[in-house]
Amino acid sequence: MANDTADATLTRPDGQPLREADNVDEMYLTFALGAEEYGVNISGVTEIVGMQRIMSIPDVPSYIKGVINLRGKVIPLMDVRLRFGMPERAYDERTVIIVMDVGEAPVGLIVDGVSEVLEIPPSQVDRHGQFGRSSTRSVIAGIGRIGDRVAVLLDTSVLVADGDINLPADIAA
Amino acid sequence: MSAPVDTAADGGLMRVSSDKISRLMDLVGELSLSVSETVQSPDLAGLTLTNFDAAVHRLNMIVREVQDAATELRLVPVDDVFRRLRRMVRELERQTGKQIEMEVEGGDTAIDKLVADRLYDPLLHVVRNSADHGLEGPEERRASGKSEQGRIILSAAQIGSEVRITVADDGRGLSREKILRKAREKGFFGPDEEPDPAVLWKVIFEPGFSTAEQVSNLSGRGVGMDVLNATMTALRGRIGVESAAGQGTRVALHIPVSLAFLDCIILRLGHQLFAIPIDVVSEIAKPRPEDIVGISADTGSEMFRLRGAFVPVCRLDDFYDTPMRDAAATPDGVLVVVNTTSGPIAVPVNEILDRQQVVMKPLVGRLARVRASFGCALLGTGEVALVLDCERLAAGVAGGAA
Repeated sequence: MANDTADATLTRPDGQPLREADNVDEMYLTFALGAEEYGVNISGVTEIVGMQRIMSIPDVPSYIKGVINLRGKVIPLMDVRLRFGMPERAYDERTVIIVMDVGEAPVGLIVDGVSEVLEIPPSQVDRHGQFGRSSTRSVIAGIGRIGDRVAVLLDTSVLVADGDINLPADIAA
Repeated sequence: MSAPVDTAADGGLMRVSSDKISRLMDLVGELSLSVSETVQSPDLAGLTLTNFDAAVHRLNMIVREVQDAATELRLVPVDDVFRRLRRMVRELERQTGKQIEMEVEGGDTAIDKLVADRLYDPLLHVVRNSADHGLEGPEERRASGKSEQGRIILSAAQIGSEVRITVADDGRGLSREKILRKAREKGFFGPDEEPDPAVLWKVIFEPGFSTAEQVSNLSGRGVGMDVLNATMTALRGRIGVESAAGQGTRVALHIPVSLAFLDCIILRLGHQLFAIPIDVVSEIAKPRPEDIVGISADTGSEMFRLRGAFVPVCRLDDFYDTPMRDAAATPDGVLVVVNTTSGPIAVPVNEILDRQQVVMKPLVGRLARVRASFGCALLGTGEVALVLDCERLAAGVAGGAA
């Protein structure tokens, strides 16, 4: 099953392949973490691959599970559950890695499973900027409404960098 | 492929964009990974494959050769950089009114094109500094019994997997007095501190430090040496400075030959793979338990007794503060003794797996913070090992690893 996901190309909710005319800025790849639904903008997503052999790396925060060798590219993997302080969950056949380029550097997000690619126009996104208590930029870019569901839209640059900003180097290491 | 390339001119040399070579390197990496995936395919389990195995052996040899050949494509003589500097020196002669003789040694030393491209700016600053501040004017030189013509010697040599580039001048040398005064002003040293020369000279590379009493249009505005420092960090190189009053200054840059590949031994500690560049490994020992001496008085540090000498033990789990499991289960399997500028250290591992040429990938993004490492090594098996920078590892041991 992991292979099915691995080979899946990004498609629109109606199953049609992405069209040139679609506004990439309003397209989000949604994924599940437990009962919660999250989304990342698809512009940074390079591919989705099934779970594969992870090689651990020392000197990284515990939510960086290690690296994979993806056709000659070394990609660090972030377990997004652990990043958000959610309980760890054994990887299963639905677990996938969303490979992204964030600020020139590749990173793979380990999530419970990808759902779909949705177009969420800005009018359907709440951006109150009230999420999180700290004064730094929030990892939550907004809350997207899709019918009666919601997806928490993530700011991937904060997701990837936050630990570096908030934690002193010796703790982060 | 279809792009017309003119091979007639230039004695058979071709100009190829470095992007194309990088693409080739990536493809070669993918190729070797695909080959090992095919060869180790579970579908083959239990089959008797006499001819297949022979073919696999040949295939692996060819892949290795392709890998080597692709890497060599990126090596260029360091003279390409030196030539540009030579032009600059002539310009400097005109601007300063000093007579400068520039000598070049070891211009044919090969260096990764990616390194060469980034080396010009920092080297330019070192050379400018020598010409502008180091060398005296003709009268002053005559007065101190030197020839009127100042000399700058640019030299390059390969030492193991490093290239050492030095810029030496026969000028007035660095002024301990001036530099120390300035360094104290800037808070690098306490008012009563008397640092060793080698330590003191290095402050000239610190951001914002510049003793140029009069800002000239040649030697930047206190930014030059910062460029050097930043570039050397990016290239995983080291800087050394020697200076003797009245006799001149020598700046040495130590840089890895290739950022892309490295001859390493592959080590396993628990479930973790590491690689150590072969040329720093001095020996591999199988210690008896009584050869390792714990020193509780020194926060539990350990020494390995090697032919009467004591070598500090650097445990990677302690250094990285990451348990690597079954490390403690077996008494130390093997100790790898490596040479560093701060003396030898012994690194215990569970086993030594292999010696191979690894493809190096820089640590970017989330991995940039990993300490004491040059990068990730892609192994022929598709696995990833962390390449250890033993210099920094040893510095951590000496400084009481945090």
